Amino acid sequence: MEGEEGSESKQHHLSAGTLDPVFAQKKKHAVMLDRLATLQQSRLQQSAARSAAAVAASPAFESVSAFLDRFAESRRSIEADVQGCRAMATDPASAARLKPELEKMAASIADLDRLVAENSYFLPSYEVRSSLRAIAALKEALEAANSELLPRKKFSFRNKAPKKDPTFLVKEVEEAKVSAAPEKPDLAVVRETPGFREKEGSILIKHFRVSEEGEGDFTLADLNSCEIYLRGRLRALFIHRLTDCRVFAGAVLGSILIEEVSDCLLMLASHQIRIHHARATDFYLRVRSRPIIEDSHAVRFAPYRLLYEGIEEELRDSGLEEETGNWANVDDFGWLRAVQSPNWSVIPEEQRVQTMNVSDNAK
Amino acid sequence: MGLLSIIRKIKKKEKEMRILMVGLDNSGKTTIVLKVNGEDTSVISPTLGFNIKTIKYQKYSLNVWDVGGQKTIRPYWRNYFEQTDGLVWVVDSSDVRRLDDCRSELENLLKEERLSGASLLVFANKQDIQGALKPADIVKVLNLDAMDKTRHWQIVGCSAYTGEGLLEGFDWLVQDIASRIYMLD
Repeated sequence: MEGEEGSESKQHHLSAGTLDPVFAQKKKHAVMLDRLATLQQSRLQQSAARSAAAVAASPAFESVSAFLDRFAESRRSIEADVQGCRAMATDPASAARLKPELEKMAASIADLDRLVAENSYFLPSYEVRSSLRAIAALKEALEAANSELLPRKKFSFRNKAPKKDPTFLVKEVEEAKVSAAPEKPDLAVVRETPGFREKEGSILIKHFRVSEEGEGDFTLADLNSCEIYLRGRLRALFIHRLTDCRVFAGAVLGSILIEEVSDCLLMLASHQIRIHHARATDFYLRVRSRPIIEDSHAVRFAPYRLLYEGIEEELRDSGLEEETGNWANVDDFGWLRAVQSPNWSVIPEEQRVQTMNVSDNAK
Repeated sequence: MGLLSIIRKIKKKEKEMRILMVGLDNSGKTTIVLKVNGEDTSVISPTLGFNIKTIKYQKYSLNVWDVGGQKTIRPYWRNYFEQTDGLVWVVDSSDVRRLDDCRSELENLLKEERLSGASLLVFANKQDIQGALKPADIVKVLNLDAMDKTRHWQIVGCSAYTGEGLLEGFDWLVQDIASRIYMLD
């Protein structure tokens, strides 16, 4: 840097040519003094303007007692406001107004702070110190009220809303319109599947004959306090909204999907079993893969114990003759940890039902 | 040379395709993948997480991501969207009650920008079950005709149990992706 400057000044000398170096220096000096004078001038102007503004803003009392009176008054009003806010917080109707109220108080404390600063030049140092202390106390009180009454949002990671350009938004709106128009698109095509639905306090029996062997699915839905016997082979079974029911079913070749059962006993054999939203229900299962539970609680498991004429053969034909022991290998999707899920348990031996021979019931 | 053509060239060398299999639980995603791959399908537990299979298909190598469909883990599907060439949506055609769920989940999926370029194959699975809805019915219920016109899509009825329709579906998917990415010869 210095080197550069040096070379510059050299150049200057060269270009100045015949000029006396001493004269050049004097000239520089004069220019600098001139500049300083202007600076000083503007500074004076500014400070004059500022003091004039201060005078206009707040009448300078220049009297210690006047200042103290004014200070005490503001302080009292802020303290009253803090109390008022606490009262407001207990009333849910006014809770919404709480935030602007607290902000207003913060502003008046800041005003008080400024007042002390502006008058500090004539105040005895003791008064300045005690006023500042009082302001600090007010700030603390406000802070406490703030954190108590307006709990901060907990910090959490959130997905940023994806930026959307306006054209995309328009498209979305259009899509929304389109999908809103045909409310439920053609549920008319939806056939009613075979099943037992909306029954209460009945005994329901279904025997799947050899002719329809392993072909169809079956649904049990909205049953209350029923006893259900399904005999024969099935392709799939859907169980939905059962309360206080006992279900005894033969071999299901595909899968069983269970949703919303409570206070039931289900005895089932299948390749796959999925259980959702079950409460206080006992499952007696023969299953080739691991059964799963999701959003379930107080469900218990035990091995399959169903007997009727020909069940052995039907289980064999469906590939379910083998006791895999998987009835106890339950995966809980709501409990992905190594320790045992609190949502399910094995039924103690002495509490299990005896082998169910339903030959007479399920003819 | 544009970036796109460079990417195309790289992909051409590897001839890889990334396929994402999704759908409600119990629709048969894992069974389809194992069946296509010629594996035993008699013992399949509901998928807790995901499976990846690399399947050689014609001259391509398909990286098939089979992601579990239980409600609890559906939010994690989004982790698999990146660079998906083909999307396979599997429907249990016999599960009439949950077709509404099925439609809304698919709608959400198709809104995803990262999947906007992917070809969509809808498998109307479990056609072997008596009384299962036919692919034409599934198109109506899922409102597939109302889909964005730029999307390449196809519905194929299939049975993961018998294997019927699976190859037909994958054939379409692979050809469609190839014609987009590799500018088929």
